[in-house]
Amino acid sequence: MAILVEQALNALALAGLLFLVSAGLSLVFGILRVVNFAHGVFYMLGAYLGFTAVVVSGWFWPSLLVVPPLVGAVGALLEASTLRFIYRRPPIYQLLLTFGLALILEESVRVLYGPTAKGIDPPPLLQGAVEIAGTFYPRYRLFLVVLGIVVGLGVWLFLQRTRTGLVIRAVAQNSEMADCLGADVARVRTLVFGAACALAGLGGVAAGPMTTAYLGMGIGVIVDAFVVVVIGGLGSIGGSMAGSLIVGAAQTWGAFYLPETAMVIMYAVMGVILIFRPWGLFGEEE
Amino acid sequence: MRRRDFLKTAVAGGIGASLRGVDPRRAWAQNPIKIGLPTVLSGGNAQYGIQAKRACELFGKEINAKGGILGRPVEFIYEDTASDPATAVRKAQKLVEKDGVKFLTGTVLSSEALAVSAKCPEWKVILMSTINGAGSLTAKAWNRYFFRVNTSGPMGARAVSLYLAEAPMKRFFGLGSDYAWGRDSVASFEKQITAVKKEIVGKDYPPVGTKDFASYIGKIKQSRAEACYMALPGQDATIFFKQAFQFGLTREVKLITEILELENMKAVGEAMAGTIGSTRYPFTVDTPKNRDFVKRFHAMHGVYPDMFDGETYEGLEWLAQVIQKAGSDDVEKVIAAWEDSSYEGLEGPFFMRKCDHQAVQPGFVVEAVKDPNYPHLIPKILATYPGDRVTPKCRTEEFA
Repeated sequence: MAILVEQALNALALAGLLFLVSAGLSLVFGILRVVNFAHGVFYMLGAYLGFTAVVVSGWFWPSLLVVPPLVGAVGALLEASTLRFIYRRPPIYQLLLTFGLALILEESVRVLYGPTAKGIDPPPLLQGAVEIAGTFYPRYRLFLVVLGIVVGLGVWLFLQRTRTGLVIRAVAQNSEMADCLGADVARVRTLVFGAACALAGLGGVAAGPMTTAYLGMGIGVIVDAFVVVVIGGLGSIGGSMAGSLIVGAAQTWGAFYLPETAMVIMYAVMGVILIFRPWGLFGEEE
Repeated sequence: MRRRDFLKTAVAGGIGASLRGVDPRRAWAQNPIKIGLPTVLSGGNAQYGIQAKRACELFGKEINAKGGILGRPVEFIYEDTASDPATAVRKAQKLVEKDGVKFLTGTVLSSEALAVSAKCPEWKVILMSTINGAGSLTAKAWNRYFFRVNTSGPMGARAVSLYLAEAPMKRFFGLGSDYAWGRDSVASFEKQITAVKKEIVGKDYPPVGTKDFASYIGKIKQSRAEACYMALPGQDATIFFKQAFQFGLTREVKLITEILELENMKAVGEAMAGTIGSTRYPFTVDTPKNRDFVKRFHAMHGVYPDMFDGETYEGLEWLAQVIQKAGSDDVEKVIAAWEDSSYEGLEGPFFMRKCDHQAVQPGFVVEAVKDPNYPHLIPKILATYPGDRVTPKCRTEEFA
C-alpha cells in the first residue's frame, strides 16, 4: 500500500514538471505552427539561472518568481530577432533554426557554468520528508504536484476567461482572419513564445532541487515533452495536462515494474493512442 | 553581390586561420608526436572529456618545457564524440588518417572504447584507456593495440568486495547504468559478494540519462537491503544521490559507489558524506609524487584533480616513458617496450602485464568526508589493496 501511494505521488510530481514544459511547447505549436526544438533549452536555462539566483540572493522563492520572466524575455527576444522572419518558409527552416538556437544556448551555458552539475537546495520549508500512508515522502515533490496543478489551472483560466486569451485562441484558430479583425498577430506570437519560454523556465527552476541543473537536461526533457504533446494533441492545454499524467505514470510505473523497458513503455502508450486517435486525445482533426 | 562578398571573406578568413595554426610548429625542428583524443566535450558526459583535456594540458606544458619526447614536441588533438560510439569511431578515424595520430586516448564511455578498440588493429594505432571501465575491454574484446592504464570496473568492484567481506552488512542491492560498464560492474560485484556468503536482494539497470530515480529508490527501500552498490556515470549519480537523500534513503541504506567522484561531491554537497566506494584515483593519496602533482595541477587549473585527471596524467607520463625507452614512436616498438614494463604512478607502482595489457595497480576504498581545508567533500582512504589482489586473472573478469 505504502509503495503504491509513493509511486502514485512520484508519477504526479513528474507530471507536474512535464506539464510546465509541454504546455509551452504545445502553445507555441498551436499559435506559431512551429515545432520548437529549443524549448527544452529554456527549461535548462531556467534551472541554471535559478541556481545563480539562489546562490546570489540565498533565497529560493524570489528566484522562482524572478527567473521565469527573465527566461521569457530571452525567448521573446529570440523570436522577434530570428523566428519572425521565417514563418512563411517551409517548416524545415524553422526546425533548423530552433535546433541551432538549442545548440548555441546549450554550449553557452557550458562555457559560462562549466561541465559540473549544479546542485540547488530546496527552500527550508520544503526540505525533508513528511509521513504519508506509512512512508516518508519528500516535501519538495509534493510542492511540484501542487505547482503543476496551480499553473495548469492558471493557464487554462487565462486562455478561456481573459480578453488576451481570447485573442490568442483566435490567432490559433485562424491567424489571417484574426489579423483582418485587428489583432496584432506578430505581437501575439512574440508574447506567446515568450510566455511559453517563461513556463519552461519556471519548470527548470522548479526541477533544480529535484534533478540538479545539468547540461543535457534540455535535450532529455524535450523528448518527453514531445511525447506528451503528441499524446495530448498539439495546441491543447488540457491535452498537455492529460499527456503529462500519462507519460509521468508510464515512466514511474514502468521503471518500477519493468525497469528494462521503462523507456519503451512511454512510446508504446503513445503508439496505441495514435492508432485510435491520430490527432491525440484532445487535439482536433485537421 | 553580398553573397559573393561573404564567401570571399569566409575563404580569406579560413586561409588566415589555417596559416596561423601552422606557425607554432615551425618553432620546433622536428615533427611533433601527436596524441589524439576522441573524447566527450559536449553534453552530459563532457565533464570526463574535460578531465582528460586538463590532464593533457598540464602534461603537455611540462613535457614540452623539458624538451618533449625524444626531442620532439608533444601535441594533442581533441575531437568531440558527443557520447556516441559511431561518432567516436568516425572521429578516431579522422585523427588517424587525416592528422596522422599513432596514439589515441580519452575515450569516455566503454561503449565508445569498445567500438574504437575494435578498429585499432586495422589502423595500426594504440588506444590507451585512462577512463574506460568495462571488463570486457581487456577480456573477450581485447586486442594487442589496446592498453588500459586505469583501474577497471571489475577491479573497483573487487576492492569494494574485499572491504565489505569484513563489514557487518549482509543484504545488498545492485544499481547499474544500463550499458556495458554499469551491467558489467554489477555482475562483477554480485559474483564477488555472493562468494563471501552475502546476498544480493535485488538489482536494476536504469537507462543512461535517467532524471527521476524515485521508482528505483522505492524499490531499494522495499527490498530491505542494508546497502546499495551503484555503478552510475557522473550526472546520473549526482541526481541519484540528491534524490536518495531527499527520500531519506540514506538513513536506512548505506550507499556504495564503484567510483566516488569529486564531480558528485561538489554537486551533491554534504548530503554525500558517509558514502563509501572505490575510486580510480583518489587525489588524497599520500605519496610524494602525488602531493607534488596535486599542487601543480591546482596551480594550473584552480581545482583539485578528479579521478580521470589523475589517471590520464599517469597514462600520458607512462606512454612518454615507453616511447623514450623504445627510442621511436613506431607503434610495434612501443607495444613491445610497454609490455611487462613498470612505472611509478601517482598512487604507487604500476605494471603493464603482457597477456592482456591491463595495468596492475593498487586498489582503493574511500569514504566521502568533510574537511575544513577543502571547499568540498574529499575522498578519505579507508583501505588500500595491492595490485595483485585487485587485478583479475589474465584476459578474464575473474579473480583468483
